[in-house]
Amino acid sequence: MKESTKEQLTAWALLSPTVVVLGLFGLFPIAYAVFVSLHAWRIKKGAFVGLEHYANALADGQLLNGFKVTVFYALGTIPLEIGLSLALAYLLFKALSGKGFFRVLYFLPYVTPMIATAVVYRSIFSAHPASPANRLGELFGYEPQRWLFESRSIVALLLEAFDVTSYPDWVNSAFPSLALVSIIVYNVWVYVGYDTVILLAGLSAIPKHYYEAAAIDGATGLQSFRHITLPLLSPALFFISLISFIGTFKAFNHIYIMRTAGARDTVDVVSVVIFDQVYQYHDAGNAATLALILFVVILILTVGQSRLLGRRVFYGD
Amino acid sequence: MGTETVATATPRRFAGTGRIVVYCGLAVGSLAAAAPFVWMLLASFMTRGETLRRVLAPESLQWSNYATAWREEEFGLYFANSLIIAALQVLGTLLFSSMAAYALARMKFRGRDVLFTIILATLMIPETVTMVPNFLTVAWLHQNSPIAWLNNWPALTVPFMVSAFSIFLLRQFMRGLPSELWDAARIDGAGHVRFLLQIVLPLCRAPLMTVGMFTFIGAWNSLGWPLLVTNTPAWRPISVALQKFVSEAGAEVQLQMAGAVIATLPVLVLYALIQREFTAGISASGLKG
Repeated sequence: MKESTKEQLTAWALLSPTVVVLGLFGLFPIAYAVFVSLHAWRIKKGAFVGLEHYANALADGQLLNGFKVTVFYALGTIPLEIGLSLALAYLLFKALSGKGFFRVLYFLPYVTPMIATAVVYRSIFSAHPASPANRLGELFGYEPQRWLFESRSIVALLLEAFDVTSYPDWVNSAFPSLALVSIIVYNVWVYVGYDTVILLAGLSAIPKHYYEAAAIDGATGLQSFRHITLPLLSPALFFISLISFIGTFKAFNHIYIMRTAGARDTVDVVSVVIFDQVYQYHDAGNAATLALILFVVILILTVGQSRLLGRRVFYGD
Repeated sequence: MGTETVATATPRRFAGTGRIVVYCGLAVGSLAAAAPFVWMLLASFMTRGETLRRVLAPESLQWSNYATAWREEEFGLYFANSLIIAALQVLGTLLFSSMAAYALARMKFRGRDVLFTIILATLMIPETVTMVPNFLTVAWLHQNSPIAWLNNWPALTVPFMVSAFSIFLLRQFMRGLPSELWDAARIDGAGHVRFLLQIVLPLCRAPLMTVGMFTFIGAWNSLGWPLLVTNTPAWRPISVALQKFVSEAGAEVQLQMAGAVIATLPVLVLYALIQREFTAGISASGLKG
């Protein structure tokens, strides 16, 4: 009895820094954000305003635009990222030698600080005719583009390339801008290596004799991939899609660095909108409200995604 | 057993053209992964004129770009700030996370499972959500505690010294250690704390390195929070310097690239040192979700 009391005390002593810091900066903020969102709150706390911030936020176009951009960003990034990393992981798995070399190389964009690589991509996708992106396009005979400085949508630009100059406004608002697509390309470049390493670990864990049995039964490569590889890889694929989904909704640092005046609000994801509220306008009440709305949306989407994809995940027996 | 004999007869790997396809694909991937780095290095050695013309490589290496970038915007000061901030965060995380992970993994106490669930739940809360209230909390602490929090190291490091992800990763690893170790330590008269310090921690080298690397990268990349809690160069990190570098009008590409190279170096050196443990740690963390 005395022994177990001592163990209890030691355990809580070991946990005390975690409980204090995580409680104060990880859990308490949720309750505090609710409190702040119900008050006028510039630098100091003001009057109680009830749900006024929420009503304003939902009526204001800025937040809705923020969500639209975030959804474009997530839907543009995730399928591309997973498709490419699946292909690379499969190729790496099939490679006889040099595995370690390629793995380190593919991982490089992920470990390199994003604040530095975002600066590099800002120059790659700059509007200057001599920027690397424009020079690459030139090789294939494309006109120079304004990339990160372009607020028009990629569909609008495509129409203009075919000399269609009069199109309705929604062609610009219903599709991502070229600036956002440039950021998506950057995001995919950063994370493909990370996904590849995880998928490669998943591929290597699949027992060889499954394939051998399938080969004896006369299965083609594609059939083995569809009926053995994909189901057994589904936990890793699920993990990656969940991580990248939450990641795109949290993305801030690199977008803030690659944001240009030319792109207007076409790259302003929700986290950027929230940051502007507190950093530029010093409106903590409004910012807390937007943050809570974002939190609820992420919760709903994550639970929904787990339900939808989770059922299809095969964990073996 | 029977399958094994058959297995030797079936070709396991692609041969001939298949192998060429595999290596072509891998080469294309490598090119895409490496090209931006090549551009960063080449452009960092160019003259301003060369960045505006269509040259591929600088005629002669302009090492002076690095000296100029270092002096500009007090880059050196910001760089040192980032190193101190990252080091404090790494030390705090390693210490506090391994303490918490050990208690959660190998000790019996009331409320353990509830506490672990709560810790995991905080992983779901994005930093954007906690940022605003945490800023207000830190501003309150700034006024009501004996030490200055704003424009000082506490605001930049203390909130990041505990990480749910690190605790989770270390706990998973510690649970996998054989229980005979603990039995042996107890016979020798060791308590939990001594067992943690002398036996468990040395065995946790790989996961500790993974956690340290993640914390370092996180600290190095952080931009929004430092902008909020600092307004003088005294404690501003390198991310702020880079952001100012690119957003100001008339910024010169070759200096930006030199700045990016400088900002990359500490992380790449760390990665080179612990590459093996780090990739192994990541693969393991992804397998079981």
